[in-house]
Amino acid sequence: MSRTRTLIAALRAELGAADPLPPPPPIPAIPAPPARVYTPRPERSGYAAHAAKHTTALVGIGHVGTRYATDVVLQFQAELAVAHAAVDAELPADWAAANGFQPVHTRATDHREFLLRPDLGRRLDEASLAAVRSQCTRGADVQIIVADGLSAVACVQSGKALADAVAAACGARGLTVGTPIAARYARVWLEDEIGQETGARVAMILLGERPGLGTGDGLSAYVVYAPRIGKTDGDRNMISNIHARGVPVEEAATRLAALASAMIAQKTSGVPLDLALLGLSRERSPRPPQVRQRLVTRGAP
Amino acid sequence: MSSVLEPIPPTVLSVRRLFNADPALVRGYGGDPARHVALGLVTCDQDDAMYVALDEATKHAPVDVIFARSFYAGAAHASGRLSGEVLGVIAAADPQAIEDGLAALLRCLEHDACFYDADGQRTVTVFPHVISSLGEYLSAEAGLAPGEPMAYLVAPPLEATIALDAALKAADVRVVRITPPPTETNFACAWLTGSLDACEAAAVAYAAAVVDVATTPKR
Amino acid sequence: MQLASTIRGRGYRFGSVREVLAKANPKKSGDDLAGVSARDEVERVAARAVLADLTLAELRANPVIPYETDELTRVVEDELDEQAYRAVSHLSVGQFREWLLDIGTTGPTLRAIAPGLTPEMAAAACKLMSSFDLMTVGSKCQVVVRANTTLGLPGRLSSRCQPNHPIDDVEGILASMREGLSYGCGDAVIGINPATDSPESTAEILRAVDGVLKANDCPTQHCVLSHLVVQMKALELGCPMDLMFQSLAGTQDGNRAYGISIKLIDEAVAMMKEKGTTRGPNQMYFETGQGSALSSASNHDADQVTIEARCYGLARRYKPFLVNTVVGFIGPEYLEDGPQISRAALEDHFMGKLLGLPMGCDACFTYHARMSQDELESLKVLLGAAGCTYLMSLPVGDDIMLNYQSTSYHDIPTLRRLLGKRPTPEFDAWLAERGIWAGDAPGPNFGRAEAIR
Repeated sequence: MSRTRTLIAALRAELGAADPLPPPPPIPAIPAPPARVYTPRPERSGYAAHAAKHTTALVGIGHVGTRYATDVVLQFQAELAVAHAAVDAELPADWAAANGFQPVHTRATDHREFLLRPDLGRRLDEASLAAVRSQCTRGADVQIIVADGLSAVACVQSGKALADAVAAACGARGLTVGTPIAARYARVWLEDEIGQETGARVAMILLGERPGLGTGDGLSAYVVYAPRIGKTDGDRNMISNIHARGVPVEEAATRLAALASAMIAQKTSGVPLDLALLGLSRERSPRPPQVRQRLVTRGAP
Repeated sequence: MSSVLEPIPPTVLSVRRLFNADPALVRGYGGDPARHVALGLVTCDQDDAMYVALDEATKHAPVDVIFARSFYAGAAHASGRLSGEVLGVIAAADPQAIEDGLAALLRCLEHDACFYDADGQRTVTVFPHVISSLGEYLSAEAGLAPGEPMAYLVAPPLEATIALDAALKAADVRVVRITPPPTETNFACAWLTGSLDACEAAAVAYAAAVVDVATTPKR
Repeated sequence: MQLASTIRGRGYRFGSVREVLAKANPKKSGDDLAGVSARDEVERVAARAVLADLTLAELRANPVIPYETDELTRVVEDELDEQAYRAVSHLSVGQFREWLLDIGTTGPTLRAIAPGLTPEMAAAACKLMSSFDLMTVGSKCQVVVRANTTLGLPGRLSSRCQPNHPIDDVEGILASMREGLSYGCGDAVIGINPATDSPESTAEILRAVDGVLKANDCPTQHCVLSHLVVQMKALELGCPMDLMFQSLAGTQDGNRAYGISIKLIDEAVAMMKEKGTTRGPNQMYFETGQGSALSSASNHDADQVTIEARCYGLARRYKPFLVNTVVGFIGPEYLEDGPQISRAALEDHFMGKLLGLPMGCDACFTYHARMSQDELESLKVLLGAAGCTYLMSLPVGDDIMLNYQSTSYHDIPTLRRLLGKRPTPEFDAWLAERGIWAGDAPGPNFGRAEAIR
């Protein structure tokens, strides 16, 4: 180190003892920030009013600095908690039979194993395989399966309604429908084995999709032609977001039946399927999405 | 946290070599074309640190300082991004001497000579530098023999005046040169000599007095 | 080739390079699921000890899937830059790791070597590296690409604006997009995952997004992430399309499951050259993610890190503008929790950058994975510090269509301030002109979607 620097460092240390610390900065008056509540206020902003008619995305929520207002943080955390609760829910053991479905189980034996071992969720356990072989109609045009997938909540809420609506829509197109099946701990590809075993021309699994923030009630439908073990994702067509704020059950059922018809007519499914020949109106539902539900209020109910 | 007397390292803004300079240029910048073929040019934002560093270069390599001038009103009013407040030019017969000289010069700017913060906000600064052994350049400027010690003291006008009084009274030193304000950069400067211990005591007293004025400007 | 090592007197022997690579991985649920992982932590280290002594030449000679059976292996082998390869082929993986970490090994050198590296080499180095190692090398790699704007310059952090909508309500998409732009998001791309995978829908969304960008003179690119074939049909309908998208898998079979092949991608790229609407030269957008091959049972007993690297080996053939790993999207069966997701994100970013790709990352989790919001926020800082080219951005990070949690519109400006980063230069100037972001702080129109026409 340089002589001068050492010298001045020593002086600095010596002065330091007597050196008064700089005075603390003055304490400012701190007014309460303006109220920022989670629900965007359409009356305050044309943008928020317009956005609220078209999307449930959390837009128009403002910011403090670059971060969220406290009310938004609480809403967000509540929605996250609800989503996690939906994942943890399980399909009641007696639900299938009580709703007129042939119950089946996959090879997954508990919920964590189901999450970590999708291979087990794609195959029937031995008892279920035997039940499918002995109890289900063979050779139908369409085999419908409802399943828990990643949201038992969605399956319980609208699984039966969707299965019934699809069956009716298929019937209206002159397609025969096999014995309705409900599967527990099931993944998409389970439809391949069930379809193979029932000899259906088209298999269609309607299952709970991964819960979203504040929601756990969406179903997805995957449809495959000539189902057999070994089909891949490119062999399937799907419709997602089947729930009250997305594709409503009736509309989904109409589209699913049309898909099944097209597959049988074109003898294929997935990427090679020509959707232009589907004969579906492309008109989308003009309904505005529902406003996101405010989950947190302070104080007792 | 106060940063009083923290070093403010100089920033080197440009370093270029001219290994075969035009003789007319060399002459124009005060050199002798017969001896000065290669040049090393440096700008930085602290003129006094640069003068000390140029002197340092003459101690480590056979180079001459042919040009060293401060710019008017200092680094805050520089003519360009690379100007700073001083241009120093060292000259030699061969490129290797320039390389060695530049290495010593840059080392000195990085680790040794610098201004210090006198008020914790860098709005008052002080240069209380002690050269333990003068080189060819500053010894000639000061009229002292190479190898003698010298205190090289710089501060703003009033601070420098009060501090010089304190320095002269603090140790057995004598005045080599007093440059009252304003210089090109509007600071004031004093060169003192004596024994190395005396130079150091004077520099410390000088720095302490500048800090005192900066803290208590009116008394 | 020596495939054995000893730890505390106990010998470990491995049957193949593929097995060594797999067992050298840090623990991942996906490798457990595939049955290729080490049985315990000691065997993991034993595998790494073997790997450290293999040379890059030996890795090239032993791809995890043979040349004869997989077109991705053939593309990598046939297109390898021999000159770049020869510069490093003599190094062992351990030496290669040290060379990568050396201060003297700079970004330009890494860029020059990239075309000579096979995916297995990148994956092998990755397995010997800690998180800081991965970040250190990742941050050195500089990959600069250009479409309408210039991505990947030093000191920049870009974002994809992802205004997805569960039923493709175009007004809903545009409302979310305007909000994103007003938070300074979307400089990498405005990218929409459509709910309906049809050419008409793809074209309709692209036209609407294009209209907003043009009305606001906003310098970025757009993309609708439908299937490649669908986008090709949409292009034939005559819509604007700045970038063309496709998900990639790391094996030929995995890509077949996606309904694509190298021949098909070649055709798509040629079509984009002719009909795409960016000035280029980079026009493709690829997404990848550990576990995708296994999810279609096409992993060929290789581990998911190596398979992921193979995606990059394919992607670089097409000089893409964007590549990102959707790291937590696929689910807990491949990456079980926060630590596994975070590790995978840093691995993928490192491997992609090392192989010369403009890597971004969708740092995300699904609601059935065990990751907390705080862990996800930490991961975004790690990625930003590692020089990740871009992240995603959505309203509060919540994708209302795909149902997962990613980066939010608020996160991007937060990260830029924390890390001293800026968006692409073109977008930066636009934000300043619109009063959205000035220097390193929000401007008067920050967060005001009304300010976007």
